[in-house]
Amino acid sequence: MEIKPAAHIKATTKSQKLAGLRRLVARFEPVVAQGPHIQTGFADIDAYLADEVANAGLACGGLHEVVAARTGDMAAALGFAHRLAARFLDRPHTQDMLLYGQTHMACREAGQPYGPALAAHGLSADRLVYIDGARLPDLLWAGEEALLCSAIGCIVLSSWDEAPSFTASRRLSLAARAAERPLVMALGAQAGTSASAATTRWQVEALPKQGWQVRLTKLRMSYNTMPPTEGWTLYPKTMSQHLPLMDSAAEVSGVAQVRSG
Amino acid sequence: MSNMPNMSGVSYTAPLATGRRIVALWFPYWAGETTQIAYDKTKSFALIERSKNAQRLVGLTPLAAQQGLSLGLSLADARALLPDLQTAMAEPMEAAARLQKCAYWLQRYTPWVGHDPPNESPHAENTDYGLLLDVSGCAHLFGGERALLADMQARFLNRGITAHAAMAGTVGAAWGLVRFGSTAKTTPQARRQIIVPEGHEAEAVLPLPPAALRLSGVHIDLCQRLGLATVGDLAGFARRELTRRFGPSPVLRLEQALGQAGESLNPCLPPPRFLVRHNLAHGVTQMEALAQLIGDLCTRLVAQLDRASQGAQRLDLALTRSDNAVLALSLPLAHPCADGGHMTRLFEERLSRLSRGVHAGYGIEQLTLAASRTAPISQPQETMSAFGGGQTRDKRRAAPIAALGSLYDRLVSRLGAQVVVRPVPHASYIPERAVRLVPVLTPDKQAPNKQAPNKPEESPYGGLPDPATRPLFMLCAPEPIEVIAEIPEGAPYRFRWRRVLHEITAAYGPERISPEWWAGLTGETPAHHNRQTRDYYRLEDTQGHRFWVYRDGLYDRETTQPRWFMHGVFP
Repeated sequence: MEIKPAAHIKATTKSQKLAGLRRLVARFEPVVAQGPHIQTGFADIDAYLADEVANAGLACGGLHEVVAARTGDMAAALGFAHRLAARFLDRPHTQDMLLYGQTHMACREAGQPYGPALAAHGLSADRLVYIDGARLPDLLWAGEEALLCSAIGCIVLSSWDEAPSFTASRRLSLAARAAERPLVMALGAQAGTSASAATTRWQVEALPKQGWQVRLTKLRMSYNTMPPTEGWTLYPKTMSQHLPLMDSAAEVSGVAQVRSG
Repeated sequence: MSNMPNMSGVSYTAPLATGRRIVALWFPYWAGETTQIAYDKTKSFALIERSKNAQRLVGLTPLAAQQGLSLGLSLADARALLPDLQTAMAEPMEAAARLQKCAYWLQRYTPWVGHDPPNESPHAENTDYGLLLDVSGCAHLFGGERALLADMQARFLNRGITAHAAMAGTVGAAWGLVRFGSTAKTTPQARRQIIVPEGHEAEAVLPLPPAALRLSGVHIDLCQRLGLATVGDLAGFARRELTRRFGPSPVLRLEQALGQAGESLNPCLPPPRFLVRHNLAHGVTQMEALAQLIGDLCTRLVAQLDRASQGAQRLDLALTRSDNAVLALSLPLAHPCADGGHMTRLFEERLSRLSRGVHAGYGIEQLTLAASRTAPISQPQETMSAFGGGQTRDKRRAAPIAALGSLYDRLVSRLGAQVVVRPVPHASYIPERAVRLVPVLTPDKQAPNKQAPNKPEESPYGGLPDPATRPLFMLCAPEPIEVIAEIPEGAPYRFRWRRVLHEITAAYGPERISPEWWAGLTGETPAHHNRQTRDYYRLEDTQGHRFWVYRDGLYDRETTQPRWFMHGVFP
């Protein structure tokens, strides 16, 4: 590829120069700008993606990391990962399967996916293939194999304490781009600090009253403004019904009788 | 052996039923008789071998033996005795190969035909030709044990082969009896036929010479020097003394012959179970026709495999040319395969990759395809072949089911069948039993959801639980939690789980789940912790983490100190 910088830096104003440079950089990473994109289903995030990021959505072909902010937030991170997976699967090919794989440690610590609850998160138990514990290298291999399989619409892998190396994540990222299918990597708090070649990295923290604080800490797509550092506060809609607040311990047994629709 | 109690010789005679019936066949003139087939049978015949500048007899026929020839005699001496002696060079490799062929033929009597000495394949050095058959439970098919042996020997006689046979309960006894057992006639043509009833091996073996115990030459010499004329003399010694003087082997052989020590008998490898063959009247030289024939073979092999619910893990294809040259191709498969189209494609690719192509010469006359290694397959392969039946080789464009099937195969072969699973609903109110993780390669028919007598949706007491009230992640097993503060019959408001203290700010519940009282009636054993009523609560702590906990047992009615368990987490 021959690059002619002069053609791009001919613009006079600073913003024009910046835009020209961004276009130039985009040519080095051409893949993220192509392929199908999805809406995350969370209005605030979609608004940011629509306004500031090229192609106005989350690229299907790519590696997306979801990291727990604290040790106890793995469930929230996995919940967010499954929400993304549900959106990725909600495409015309509705028979596509979700492959969900966990390392042994993640199985022990975070538990297994529970079929009857999947419907509340936009997923179906009929369309889930689950890898019930594997070593991380085997899990990454399985993810790469599954990317080659046209019947798998989305892959979620979960690791509790160790993250794939940069090389491995680069490999997965390239495979996901080539396959134009998403691979969501959910990582525990201890694993989520390493370098990676992921297209996006989301940090999820549980909030009281069934909320999530979601930060977009890494974005390998051309964008105009940085994602907000404080992130977005989300209250996912179809999750479990709102828990009644408990003001004092005396009311605990009282709420037991209240069963809201 | 030396720390065993000093057992006297008497114990050897204790009858011991092994439950096995072993036939030992011994062919004293095997090499001579099988080679003589091409020669004049009315004249004496001997096999010769050149050793130390002399030609010596190494194989005889009964007639030659009767006329006074013996093994080791030089050819010149033999000719002096019998001027019209026919001779041929000995070819021990061929004799061994013929014995192997004979072993396969003997599988008409029993599938368990082993070599003699046991567990060794025939080789050129072994000039003692014998076979061992385990005919336990086979004799009645031939009209009894005597009829079985008679039939066997008659068939050998028709081929001009002298076969001695002995039947006993142990390999050792049968081996010794067939070679050293007494027989009424002493002419070389007489065929020994000895049957020892079950449990009477000791009586039959003890009068035999010590060599009948499969001893080495050194031990036989030692027995002679010590004046031990029979096995009974040997058995008269205490085992400890025998072991000290002879080493462990004679004692072991003695015990094996009497059925006091076990001895395995491995069958010689049977020919492949799944084998298809094409014999052509005229040789085929064209690759297209060959590919077509291979496709046919694959289809027929798959039909065989299907009937046995097997998948091929290794395929062997042999193409025999009209000049008897054989081109052999072996194809290992990553996973058991019963998809004819898949096999055909693999062979086509393989043939096209051969560096110089297939040299058909004057034509290929015979094609043989065998599945030399198979494994049971549980995946119904019709779906795979129906959707992926060879229209496209592109993995990406293959039909989804086929693609999923091959992905499952790859995942299962690397990760294990129990690891790659899918959730299958099960009729149960107990949350952890409401769904089962079933290996993906399990056929749907075996999925347990249909057999359960009480399906929740059919129950008059309520339908399936609201998905939103169930945790997205269920712990593999409920983990006990330490509830520090609670209201009796209410939710906890402070508890410790995995050494972390959680302050509860919101609670919802209880959802009462009673044990399934009918589980005992329908034969299912309820898990131990399922015997008590559970009160489930959904809790949220100060940091926003959400849990699904339960109290095991009702206060006062079922238990005085109910325990609390963490069962799942909400995202």
